[in-house]
Amino acid sequence: MALQEFAPIGAMLLFAIIVASIVLVISRIFGPHHPTFRKTAPYESGMKPIGPGTRRIPVKFYLTAVLFIIFDVEVIFFFPWAVASRELSLLGLGVIGVFTFILLVGFIYEWKKGGMEWE
Amino acid sequence: MEASFDFWTHLPAVIPELLLTVLAVVVLLLDLYGGKENRRNIAFVSAIGLAAIAVTPLIWGPSEQQVFWGGMVRYDLIAQIFKVMIIIGASITCLMAADDSEVGHKGEFYLIVIVATLGASLIAAAADLIMVFVGLETLSIPLYILAAFRRDDERSSESGMKYFLFGAFSSGVMLYGFSLLYGFTGETNIYTLSQAFPAAVADNPLPLIGALLMLLVGFGFKVSMVPFHFWTPDVYEGAPTPVTAYVSVASKAASFALLVRVLLAVFPVTLVIGQENLQTLWVNLVSVLAIVTMTIGNVLALRQTNIKRLLAYSSIAQAGYVLVGVAAMQSQSDYSVASVAFYLLMYTFTNLGAFAGVLIFSETTGSENIKDMGGLSRRNPWLALGMTIAILSLAGIPPAAGFFGKFYLFTAAVNANMVLLAIIAVLNAIVALYYYLIVIKVMYVDRSQYDSQSIALSRSTLWVIGLTSIAVLLLGTFGAQPFFDWAAQGAQALLAL
Repeated sequence: MALQEFAPIGAMLLFAIIVASIVLVISRIFGPHHPTFRKTAPYESGMKPIGPGTRRIPVKFYLTAVLFIIFDVEVIFFFPWAVASRELSLLGLGVIGVFTFILLVGFIYEWKKGGMEWE
Repeated sequence: MEASFDFWTHLPAVIPELLLTVLAVVVLLLDLYGGKENRRNIAFVSAIGLAAIAVTPLIWGPSEQQVFWGGMVRYDLIAQIFKVMIIIGASITCLMAADDSEVGHKGEFYLIVIVATLGASLIAAAADLIMVFVGLETLSIPLYILAAFRRDDERSSESGMKYFLFGAFSSGVMLYGFSLLYGFTGETNIYTLSQAFPAAVADNPLPLIGALLMLLVGFGFKVSMVPFHFWTPDVYEGAPTPVTAYVSVASKAASFALLVRVLLAVFPVTLVIGQENLQTLWVNLVSVLAIVTMTIGNVLALRQTNIKRLLAYSSIAQAGYVLVGVAAMQSQSDYSVASVAFYLLMYTFTNLGAFAGVLIFSETTGSENIKDMGGLSRRNPWLALGMTIAILSLAGIPPAAGFFGKFYLFTAAVNANMVLLAIIAVLNAIVALYYYLIVIKVMYVDRSQYDSQSIALSRSTLWVIGLTSIAVLLLGTFGAQPFFDWAAQGAQALLAL
């Protein structure tokens, strides 16, 4: 029966839960426990936290990350094609050409729209 | 799989998708090089291009109905019918957007609509779990962007964010369902999965039930089935109106096409695991969900004052009616699938008409309140007439197409010996009549502060209202039987494996 094949996964899950709770419970029971203001602060290094936790990041970084995806995806698809390019022959070359063309259009778009300019 | 792969025999199966890609590239380049003053023409290029592509599945395709591209997509008549429906919906959406002051002049808008259509048309024909997921995401991700398209409007951003969060979560659950199916059988093809089940799970139906439920979560989100409907009103209200129209028709039609195909192919009537017949299970489940969906949609619609929210709840209720047809697939599934397809076809035109009316109204007055629609018949009789036809169709009153849509769905339920379900659906339709007729009453009888302000129809909006009204009337009279027969023929193709 198929479900029995999942038994090891279940066992592992159970084991993980047990180990984690043992560690937490034992240190709670036997360890010293003196919470002070300084200790419970988010950065337990004696420094008073300054400013909000979430900083404002220039939105340009997101844009750069998104633009990077074009080239990222390109490489992901080029790689398997390059490995099997001999077997795929001319048809494969044509298909990867079409793929590159579509990416190229995206590239032209981001260039023309000024996505590459930092300022 | 065949030993040698002949590219040219496989090509016609995805012709609409290829042409959509080409159109997307053309639109993108037009946006870049067309110049600012020609931006508005991009809408017409997209609309005409999409309309032309909508015809291609009918005239050009492989000679036989089977799976192509290594089992990824299936070419059959029902897929073609849904593709035509989706692409026409997209075409009318582009035409509608041409005069929208917020999105109409942005070339990217049309590009994203075309890409979403590409995804929708892929899932209408998907025959493999991987293709289903890729198609669904190709549809969903552009829709998240479209919902948030008015960047400086808070409601629009909120709707995009909500849509994304709900969508990402339900996609995740559905993907987990897929992974279970693949884990049990080692198959991803929809048409071979069911044969691999008995060997994989022996007598224990439990894993399959789990997978089935997870699949329903994903599809239920897309069609706004009730436990997963919470995003619908907010997204419909916040998104730009053309986007709302698109989400309510094309995305919904594609998802129902997928739901029908997956349920019938992966969990067929012959599949009995242990003592459990899985089809009985999902039929019962879908029936209950249909009842809940209809009732909640209709009851909540009664109290709406914003026309877009009203149409959102109405669209939940309509999804409930379609689910009646899905549940009725347990016997005479030809008829039921055909009734679902016919309903979605007429719903495409109906809802696009209704939303076009709302768009023009809110563009001129800046209001989306139902009470501000007072005196619309005096401000622009043709707009009021078009809205009336669309709303009558939603309510299911002849001669509008909604009557035959509901008639076929409920007949399917009766044929499948689900008389109680049909009765509940009819009762729901009566409840719905109230809030639909109120809108008509407001337009023709009431007065409002905008009463003296006349509303002008531009050429493109006139086309949208005219085309949809004519299509609705045609499907409600002479067109009903021929189109239903066509859909029935397609339904047979779905089942012929």
